[in-house]
Amino acid sequence: MEIRCRRIFLIVAAALLTGSGSAQTAPLSERVVAYRIEGAYNAKAHTLDANEVLTYTNRTGTTLDRFPFHLYLNAFQPKSTFMTEAERTGDRDVEVGEGWNDKHFGSNEMKSLEIVGFGDVTRQMKFVSPDDGNANDRTVFEIALPKPLLPNQSVQFRMHFVAKFPEVVARTGYKRDFLMAGQWFPKVGVWWNGAWNCHQFHALTEFFADFGTYDVKLTLPAKWNVGSTGVQTGAKDNGNGTQTVSFHAEDVHDFAWTTAPDTRVVEDSIGLSHGVVKIRMLMQPGHMASAPRYLSALKGTMRKFDEWIGPYPYAQITVVDPPHGGEAAGGMEYPTLITADTTWWMPKSYLEPEFVVEHEFGHQYWYGMVATNEFENAWMDEGINQYMEAKVMDALYGEATSNLNSRRATIGERGMDRITYVPVADRDPLSRPAWLYMDDGSYGGITYSKTALMLLTLENLIGEKTVMHGLRVYFDHYKFKHPTPADFTAAMNKATGQNLDWYWKQAIYGTETLDDRILTAGSKRVDWYNKAAEKKGVTVYDNEVTVHRRGTFDLPVLLEAKFDDGSTVRERWDGKDRWHRFTWERKAKLVSAEVDPDHGYLLDRDPFNNSWTAEAGRKASSKLAGYWTLLTQWLAQALSWLA
Amino acid sequence: MHERVRSSAGLVWRHQRMVWWIFAVNLLLAWLGSLPVHAALSTVLDHSLESARLVTGFDIGTFVLLLERPDVSARSLAPCPLGAALVFLVYLLLIDGGVITVYLEDRKLSRAEFFENAGLFFWRMARLALYSIIPFGLLAAASGGLSIYAEKLSNDTAPERLGFFVYVAGTLAILLVALFVRLCFDLAQARVVRDNERAVLRVLRRSLKLAFGSGKLFAKYLGIAMFAAATFAIGIGVWVYLPHSAIGASLLVLELVTVTQIAARLWMKAVSARWVALLPLHPDTAHEALTPVIEATDMLPE
Repeated sequence: MEIRCRRIFLIVAAALLTGSGSAQTAPLSERVVAYRIEGAYNAKAHTLDANEVLTYTNRTGTTLDRFPFHLYLNAFQPKSTFMTEAERTGDRDVEVGEGWNDKHFGSNEMKSLEIVGFGDVTRQMKFVSPDDGNANDRTVFEIALPKPLLPNQSVQFRMHFVAKFPEVVARTGYKRDFLMAGQWFPKVGVWWNGAWNCHQFHALTEFFADFGTYDVKLTLPAKWNVGSTGVQTGAKDNGNGTQTVSFHAEDVHDFAWTTAPDTRVVEDSIGLSHGVVKIRMLMQPGHMASAPRYLSALKGTMRKFDEWIGPYPYAQITVVDPPHGGEAAGGMEYPTLITADTTWWMPKSYLEPEFVVEHEFGHQYWYGMVATNEFENAWMDEGINQYMEAKVMDALYGEATSNLNSRRATIGERGMDRITYVPVADRDPLSRPAWLYMDDGSYGGITYSKTALMLLTLENLIGEKTVMHGLRVYFDHYKFKHPTPADFTAAMNKATGQNLDWYWKQAIYGTETLDDRILTAGSKRVDWYNKAAEKKGVTVYDNEVTVHRRGTFDLPVLLEAKFDDGSTVRERWDGKDRWHRFTWERKAKLVSAEVDPDHGYLLDRDPFNNSWTAEAGRKASSKLAGYWTLLTQWLAQALSWLA
Repeated sequence: MHERVRSSAGLVWRHQRMVWWIFAVNLLLAWLGSLPVHAALSTVLDHSLESARLVTGFDIGTFVLLLERPDVSARSLAPCPLGAALVFLVYLLLIDGGVITVYLEDRKLSRAEFFENAGLFFWRMARLALYSIIPFGLLAAASGGLSIYAEKLSNDTAPERLGFFVYVAGTLAILLVALFVRLCFDLAQARVVRDNERAVLRVLRRSLKLAFGSGKLFAKYLGIAMFAAATFAIGIGVWVYLPHSAIGASLLVLELVTVTQIAARLWMKAVSARWVALLPLHPDTAHEALTPVIEATDMLPE
C-alpha cells in the first residue's frame, strides 16, 4: 500500500512537472542557443511554412564575425553530397545503385533571413561546401555579420523558411499520413575547438549542435496525435480543422517532432534516481503487440543506465513507432524522443523491438547529454552506445540470446558485433571522420561494432567494473559538453588509474587487427630415443605450444593448457614478438591449449584458431556436414521438379 | 481417399524399391557433394574448442565467423551441391523411362528391362525437361514479380497486411499453376512411354488438353502435394523440438522427410501413369506403341 501511495505521488508529481513544461530549474547545460519556431504543416504537400527566431549567445570567448547554418533537408536532392555519396557507398536507407527517386526530394528553402538590428541579409547568404567543394550541395550556408559579435553578447536571427519533407529517408520525412520531422529547421553550427564546425550532410554522418532551449508552436491537422522532443505545453483547437500545439525543451541540442492521424498513445512512467520519468509511446495500430516489448525493454534500459552511468534528467521520454514502409524513420535518436522499429509479424524470438529501443534510449546519454561530434567522431556516440547495448541487452536477455533466441538458433549482441566487425576489421580507423569511411559496411562495422568490441576487450584487461566506472566518470565530466576523443581517453585513463594510451593508439587511431592462434601444439616424450612403452604417470613428456600472433594488435596473451592428469596451467606472454613457445616438462600429456581462455578478446578475428585439442572432436564438423548434405539433397529435389 | 489414388499409393508401396534407390542416389550424390565441405570443416573445427558452440547449440555468430574464413567460404563451396543437384536431375531423367514403365505395367521389371526402357526414353525425357524450363521459368519470374509487387504493397498501402496476404495468395496460385504444369508434363511422360511417342511436343499438347479436362486428376495431385507439405511440416516440427546435441536423431528425422518427399513425387508419377494407362491409344500413335501395357478395361478416366 505504501509503495502504491508513493507511486501515485510520484506519478502526480511527474504529471505536474510535465504540465509546467520545465522539469528542471537550474540549467543543466551552457545554453548557447534559444530557438523559437512557429510553423504550419501542410499534410497534403508535406511542407512546413515556418518562422524561426534564433538567439545565439557568444560563449566562445572569442569574437565572431560569421555564422554557418545547416539546411539538412537540402541533402535530399539529386546532386547533393549526401545523395552522391549514398549512390557511391550506400547509406542506411539508400542502396548503392538504387538511383534517384523523386519521392526522396526534400528541401529547406530560405524565404528570408534577417539579423535583428541589421535588417534583411537574405541576399548575402552564401552556400559553402567545406568538406568536398561540391558546388551543388546546399546543406550549409554562411552569413557574415555586419558587426562582429563580442564574447557574451547575443545576436538574433529571424528566418522564414519552408521545409519540404521527403518520403522518409535518413530518419526524416513522411510515409502516407505519418510524419517524422527531424533536421527540419535552419540550425546554426558549433564553435568547437577554436573554429566553426558545420559540416555538410553526408550519407554516413549524423549531427552536431549546441545546447539550448526550444519553444516550438506547430499548427497541424486537428485531432492528429503529436509527439516531440521535450514536453507539450499547450494545445488549441483552431476550429478550422487545425490545432496549434506548443512544446518546450531545454538543455537539448536538437528538436524533432512527429504527427499522424491514427497512432495509439500508450503512457506509463518509471521512477528513477532523479525522479519519475513519463513514458509516452506513439504506436501504430497494427503494432500494438510490440508495445509491451518496447516498454519492458525501455524500462529495463532506463534502470540499467540509471544504475551504471547516471540519472536521466529529463521529465519525459517519447517513443515513436513508425508505420510499415516507413522503417527508414525507425531506429533514430533525438533528444528525449526516439524512434523504434517493429512489424506486425515480429517473432518473439527476434529481439529487434527490444534492442532498437535499448540502443536509441542509450543515445540519450551518448549523444543527447555527452554531445560528441557525430560527423567527425561517430564512434564516440554510436560505438560507446553499442557497447552499452551489449551490456544492457546481455543483462536483460542473456549474453548468448540477446538478439535472437529461437529453438534452433541463437545470437547475442557480442556475436552480432563480431560478425559485422570481422569482415571490415582493417579498413578504417575509428578516428576517421564518418564521411571518409570506405563504405556503409565499414562505417557500421567499425564505428558501432569495433568500439563495442574494443571496450569489451578492455574489460578483459582492466576489469568489467573498471571500464564501467571509467564510463561513468567520463559521463559525469562531459555531460552537456562536446568532448573529443582525447577527452575520452584522458578521462578513462584517469578514472581507471591506468595509462591505456598504448591501447587507444591501436584501437582508436590505428587499423591494427588481432588474431592470436595456436600454431603448433603437442607432447613428445623426453626420452624420445627410448623404445620402451609409454606409461601414464611415469613417462615424462616435453609439452609444447607455439602461439603465433598473426595480427598486428599488441595485446598480452594468456594461455591455458590442460593435461591428461587433470591439471591446468595458465601462463602469460607479453605478446610483443610474433610468436612464443610455451613448454612444460611433466609426467602428463597435453590435452588442450587455448589462448584467451576467458573469451574476452572479442577483437580477435578468428576464434577457431585460438585453441587446440589433442583429440579430434568431430561432432561439430559432422553435424554441419550432415546439414550441408541434407540441404544439397533438398536442392537436388527442387531441381528434379523438372524431371 | 479416392480409390485410384489409393491404388496409385499401393503402386508406389509395391515398387518402393524405386523410392529407396532414388533416395540412396540422392543421399550419395549429396554426400559426395559435401565431402569438400566436410574436409574444410574438419580442418577448422575438429581440433578447436570453439566448435562446442555449434554442437550444444547453434550460435549464428560462430557459424558466420566460420563462413568468414576463406577455407570454409560458402561461395567457394557452393559449386559442389549445385553439381550434385544437376547430376541427380540427369539421373532422374535417365531412369524416368524405367520408372514410368513400372507404374504403367505394375510389375517388377528385370534390371535389363528397366534400363532398356530408361535408355530408350532418356532423350525424350530430357527434351520434356528442357521444355518444362519455359513454363517453370515463367512461373519463377512471376514469383519474383509477385515478391516485388507484394513488397511495394506492404510499403505503400495503408492496410499493413495487404502485401502479405497478396503474397501468400499469389504464391499459392503460382504453386497451383506449377502443380498443373507438372501434371501436364507427367502425363506427357507417361504417354511418351506408353505410346513410344517420339513427337514430344505433340504429346505435350495432347497432355495439356487432357490435364485441362481432368479436374479430378489435378485434385489428386493437389492431395498428394498437401500430403508432402504436411509430412514436411510435421518433420520440421519434430526436428525443432529435438535437442541440438541429438545430431543423429535430427538428421534421421530430416532424412525421413526427404524420403517422404521422394515418395510423394513418385506417387504423382504413379497417378498420372495409371491415368494414362487407362486411356485408349490415340489413333495417330496406336501403331507405335511398344506393347499393350494394360488390358482393355472399363475403368476410363473420370
